[in-house]
Amino acid sequence: MAEEFNAQGMLDIYLFENGQLLERLQEIVLEQKDEDCFDEDSINEIFRAMHTIKGSSGVMMFDEVTKVSHKLEDVFYYLREAHPQNVPHLELVELVLQVADFISGEMEKLENGDSADGMSGEIVGQIDKFLTALKGGDNEKEKEIEENVHVEPQQFYIAPMATSASRFYKIYITYQPDVQLVNVHAYKAVYSLREIAEDLLHYPEDVISDDSSEKEILENGFKILLQAQCSEADIRELIQEGYDIKKVEIVECSAKEYQQGFESIGSEIRIDLDSSVEEIQKKAEGPGSFIIAPAGEPQAASKAIAPGDFVIESKEVGKGKKLAKDKPKKQEKTAFISVDVNKMDMLMDLIGELVISESVVLQNQDLKVPGLKLDNFYKAASQMTKISASLQDVIMSMRMMSLTNTFQKMNRIVFDVSRKLGKEIEFEMIGEHTEVDKNVIEKISDPLMHLVRNSVDHGIETPDERAASGKTEKGKVTLWAKKESGKVLIGVQDNGKGLNREKIMEKARKQGLLDWTKPDSAYTDKEVYQFITLPGFSTKEQVTEYSGRGVGMDVVVSNIQAIGGSLEIDSTPGQGSTMVLKIPLTLSIIDGIVMEVGESSFVIETNSVKEFVGLKDHTIVQNPNGEEFVMIRGEGYPVVRLGELYQINGYKRDDTKGMLVMVESEKKVFCMVVDTLVGKQEIVVKPIPDYVKKVKGLSGCTQLGDGSVALILDALGLIEKA
Amino acid sequence: MGEYDKQQNKYVTFQSGNEYFALQIKYVKEIIVYQEITQIPESEEYVKGLINLRGKIIPVIDVRIRFKQEPVPYTDRTCIMVINVKGTVVGLIVDRVAEVVEIKPEDVLDTPTFGNEEKCQNKYVYALGKVGESVKMLLDPDRLLKDEDVLVPDVEDEDSKEEGEEE
Repeated sequence: MAEEFNAQGMLDIYLFENGQLLERLQEIVLEQKDEDCFDEDSINEIFRAMHTIKGSSGVMMFDEVTKVSHKLEDVFYYLREAHPQNVPHLELVELVLQVADFISGEMEKLENGDSADGMSGEIVGQIDKFLTALKGGDNEKEKEIEENVHVEPQQFYIAPMATSASRFYKIYITYQPDVQLVNVHAYKAVYSLREIAEDLLHYPEDVISDDSSEKEILENGFKILLQAQCSEADIRELIQEGYDIKKVEIVECSAKEYQQGFESIGSEIRIDLDSSVEEIQKKAEGPGSFIIAPAGEPQAASKAIAPGDFVIESKEVGKGKKLAKDKPKKQEKTAFISVDVNKMDMLMDLIGELVISESVVLQNQDLKVPGLKLDNFYKAASQMTKISASLQDVIMSMRMMSLTNTFQKMNRIVFDVSRKLGKEIEFEMIGEHTEVDKNVIEKISDPLMHLVRNSVDHGIETPDERAASGKTEKGKVTLWAKKESGKVLIGVQDNGKGLNREKIMEKARKQGLLDWTKPDSAYTDKEVYQFITLPGFSTKEQVTEYSGRGVGMDVVVSNIQAIGGSLEIDSTPGQGSTMVLKIPLTLSIIDGIVMEVGESSFVIETNSVKEFVGLKDHTIVQNPNGEEFVMIRGEGYPVVRLGELYQINGYKRDDTKGMLVMVESEKKVFCMVVDTLVGKQEIVVKPIPDYVKKVKGLSGCTQLGDGSVALILDALGLIEKA
Repeated sequence: MGEYDKQQNKYVTFQSGNEYFALQIKYVKEIIVYQEITQIPESEEYVKGLINLRGKIIPVIDVRIRFKQEPVPYTDRTCIMVINVKGTVVGLIVDRVAEVVEIKPEDVLDTPTFGNEEKCQNKYVYALGKVGESVKMLLDPDRLLKDEDVLVPDVEDEDSKEEGEEE
């Protein structure tokens, strides 16, 4: 039982880590897809990512994933070491993306509880072919690299000190205190060292099945003794400081010390986490058993360096500086922890409750005794109010995520689709750091994908067409995001041919969408463009793999509307078109107007309210069908009496009191009659429990400041109902 | 295992009208005092509305109306029994929560099936439990909550729902 749990935990971490690596991988690849080749940093990073994935997949025994990542790692190893010229860059980009897709696919299977059964044969074959082709170019280097790539640890499992080129290291790894299953991370480190290790010892020895090792590692760090023909830099390459590893210390030692094993480590050396390398070295050079750069044997050993190694001659000063330079770069990364969403929701609920009970305390009847001196009480209370308000802000911001990942995905789509369609397209992102509620991000991803595809497929012309119309051959798709008055605007903009008004009108006429009493010219451009969002409407004559079936835009629009957003289309023929999604920042918090009708409280989103007018100043007229209208400044608006519509307890029809709330949704305006307006409030939207059947016009419920429940009105639904 | 066995025979009994009803204790999450209920428009008569249970918004139903008993005004003895039936959390408004009793399986008797009055209650009462001299009606919470029209919302129109309640 316990073991099963452990395995699940390991799998979760495996999936989480690899997911992040793959995301990062795609990001790098797409960033540089238009360059001639990857720059050195990227090659290194991809190499490392593949290496990590290979390592952890090996531990988890997902052989196919291991194989694929190993192959790709080989490619990048070759790129890194041999610096071949004339790398077919685009081919490589596709290869990397394919590998990323394959691994993502496998991970998805694992996530869904299936087994990772995808076969890697095809991809491995492709990579092999690619690598062979690559190596064909410069044969003379091949041999050397080949040897390096396929170092099998077994070949070198000979007694220590067998080769004069061997060097000995003591490696201390300190993990971040919040890393989970640190023993697995430790094992990963060992696993990744296997490649270069001629001999390797580590303490605690049993990191896989002995759970107590976890505590030991967290408290005292993970210690490794390594014999290998490599430089310190190589080791650092394999074991990197990152979100899991806080610090890696590598000290070269003599063979003698190496044989002494861990005795010398455990007892004498205590290195505090924040000391600089120099300090550590000083400590090590002190009376303890550590000698850093002895003149004897290891020094000689360090001169015989394996081919392809990085050689860093100066060990004392230069080293320290190099590390110091590297460090701040790594610390810039924000530390993340992943939290169960349910826990967050619970926290949010509780904070909401806290705020309510706070107001219950502060406005308690018992405090309203005349003559009571409460100065100190109110001083303390205002402090508490401040804290709870910032608590609320923090929890709200915790749900916010930047759009970067979503945009990055779009980048990928542009790349894929444009390649397949033979179009050259430049992709630009603006404002991708805009933060939006997590729920919103999940819901806009698909619609956005669709819009981007449309732009690439329909919008941008082929290079020939572009050249003919005097444009640059390269098309451009811009994805931008910005915040505007409580909404996020996300735009997909292309500089393609734009929408064809005539074509759309023609099609609309065929489908009988036009009002025949209205002349064509009476339709504004925007109205015309909106036709393409109707079901079954596609002016593209040919259905392509990506679009043209006419099932897209209406789905996009309905998805966007479902989260309270809208889609605006703008286009200039010959210049391109822009699709703008207007989406609420968050689904769970809205700015609402609280009002009372009879015994019930209702809330309506502030954005949909146009104005309030007193009921007694306006006459309500009734037509023979019983429908009521009110004249406000010479315009007639339909009237909805909430109290009667929903048969609310305690509602009395009285036109001398009450308010009219003018509500607008989807360009339709109507007036609601309510008894009193309570005020404006930020409210947390909660769904109406499933047990209660759906009521048209109500979109959810919320709790008010006093803890009572109010129903949230949905303007669109009300229009349909009334 | 032992704990579960012990719970198996425990029932929370409550009074509604003159009758005593009993629910297996495993369904009962908590019992709270009556609090202000927000009416939901267009719902069945017995669904009184929504309450805020520490940030969770849950529906409450009035057991008296559900059992076709005469509704009475709520007093400070009125309780809301929060039950959780397969993930659905619902509050039951009851006149009074009586006590927790143990009813051994041998004291659970099948409901007699005659008489008109029994007919409408048979829907929710699956057995009778003997506690000393008195008899409690054992409730099937599933049937208590489920109603054809609640189960399939949005499909039927207003009229057929009214009928559904009559049956």
